[in-house]
Amino acid sequence: MVLAFIFVPLVGAAMMPIMRKFWVKGSTLVTIAVTLFMLTGSFANILREINSETGISFQKTLLGEKFALSIDGLSAVVLMTIALVTLATIIFSAGVPIGRRSGFNALVLLAVTGMNGLAMATDIFSMYVFVEIVSISSFILIVYNMDEIGTEGSFKYMILSAVATVFLLIGIAALFAVTGDVSFQGVAAGLSSSAPLVRFGLGFIVFALALKSGLMPFHGWLPDAYTAAPVSVSVLLAGVITKVAGVYTLMRIIVAVFGFSESFSNLIMILGALSMTLAAFMALGQGDFKRMLAFSSISQIGYILMSFATGTTLGLIGAVFHFFNHAVFKSLLFLNAGATETATGARRLEDLGGLAAKMPVTGITSIIGMLSAAGIPPLAGFWSKILIIIALWGSGHRFYAGLAVFTSLVTLAYLLHAQRRAFFGKVREGLENVAEVSPLLYGPAVLMAVLAVAAGIFYPVIIRTLNLLLRIHLN
Amino acid sequence: MVNIFVADWIAVIILFCIGLYTMIVAKNMLRILIGFEIMTKGVTLAIITAGSVNGKIVFSQALAITVIVIEVVFIAIALAIVMITQKNKRSLDVRKLTNLKG
Repeated sequence: MVLAFIFVPLVGAAMMPIMRKFWVKGSTLVTIAVTLFMLTGSFANILREINSETGISFQKTLLGEKFALSIDGLSAVVLMTIALVTLATIIFSAGVPIGRRSGFNALVLLAVTGMNGLAMATDIFSMYVFVEIVSISSFILIVYNMDEIGTEGSFKYMILSAVATVFLLIGIAALFAVTGDVSFQGVAAGLSSSAPLVRFGLGFIVFALALKSGLMPFHGWLPDAYTAAPVSVSVLLAGVITKVAGVYTLMRIIVAVFGFSESFSNLIMILGALSMTLAAFMALGQGDFKRMLAFSSISQIGYILMSFATGTTLGLIGAVFHFFNHAVFKSLLFLNAGATETATGARRLEDLGGLAAKMPVTGITSIIGMLSAAGIPPLAGFWSKILIIIALWGSGHRFYAGLAVFTSLVTLAYLLHAQRRAFFGKVREGLENVAEVSPLLYGPAVLMAVLAVAAGIFYPVIIRTLNLLLRIHLN
Repeated sequence: MVNIFVADWIAVIILFCIGLYTMIVAKNMLRILIGFEIMTKGVTLAIITAGSVNGKIVFSQALAITVIVIEVVFIAIALAIVMITQKNKRSLDVRKLTNLKG
């Protein structure tokens, strides 16, 4: 089961060049089949995890204990999120014109292979390898249309990602020099001596992963990469790739190796608060729909990491819940941005207007996504945000809790502003002939909107499930 | 006797600084990639040194070879992107990459 999560997408990707010769349309069907397999597999994992005693549902060691993969509660949630967002991406991309479609599907499956491996990795070196697989496939996906903005966004992402990689490797080398091991357990056991090299390694690794997840002082590449990518790719990038490669990896390495320390918590708290607040204000002034959503992503990453940095039970549950919610509502909003761009050909907000009358499904799902992102009560985003604020208040970070409340007002402001400009009001001249997009394009958005509403209504079930899933990390 | 590992770590630091400096000041896309290559060489040396410090030289060689392979894949993709840029813009100057100003 563990190996299936890596090998099924990998075999799917390897099949794509063969499919290209015989049955091009079939390549999308194969990709959807692989994603559905992963979705059912991850649900099975979650069920098994809830009922298991040890808290680790699957563990597989290869090469004589040298290389291990395991699925615990945190990985199970991440695996499910990856499968969900990939499904939405693939269905959406089937409805838009893409050259060399089988190659596109192969790259998406390769990125999924890397993310699944990252979710299950148990040593810092294979973590690096999987991060690289994810990043390299996403460079190609961003530049897939081979246009000017694509190369620019991809090159910026690539250079900053290269710097992050080198810093990550130096951190790994420092930890390897001190402890003589690269597995999470081995490194954690060897860390008891607080050698300067250990602090050095922690600093380098945290810097690299903050760069990968686009925290505020290191965020330069993120809006460019999201804006430059083709529409279906930005769904995948915003929904899972940066979250898994940056945020999840940071969480995993802190939980499994370093543990929470005062200085780490303070550092991440400050960086998180900075990105949460400043990115929200920068989103206010954006004229490009996708660019505004990218800044909103940075702001939400700030929420997730601040909640995680409290180091408390509630903080971890809030962080993982918001991780899932953010994947749902941000991919929903990017799907809507993609649908409006496909229907009207315009990506700037001032060229849009009154689209709710012309595109009713997109308009309604977009309201649900924006209200969930802003944290309005019946929707899922509200429950994770309130958990985060309570966790911050309860752990004594009252200033940050107040800042989080304030930022959620700013979030509401910029999202409603964008909603009003794009969807409400009078139909703009030149857009009279716009029609609703095809069901392939709005289907995934409807799915995500239903999930956002359902997760909001059944929040007690989800919080109880998360509590059970994360119990081995909570002590 | 001079500790050989100290010399190694100093070499790592020097290579790292040269690479980082190159990446910061270079204006040509290819030079930026060369800076990245120099940094990766330093990192490979760091991993080998880390392995020999605690007597796990075979394991660290395996890690270093993996790093080299991934770096080659990275550079291949990066050069492809540089080629597309050259085709589109007829220039490799990073100061001209300004289409995405927000």
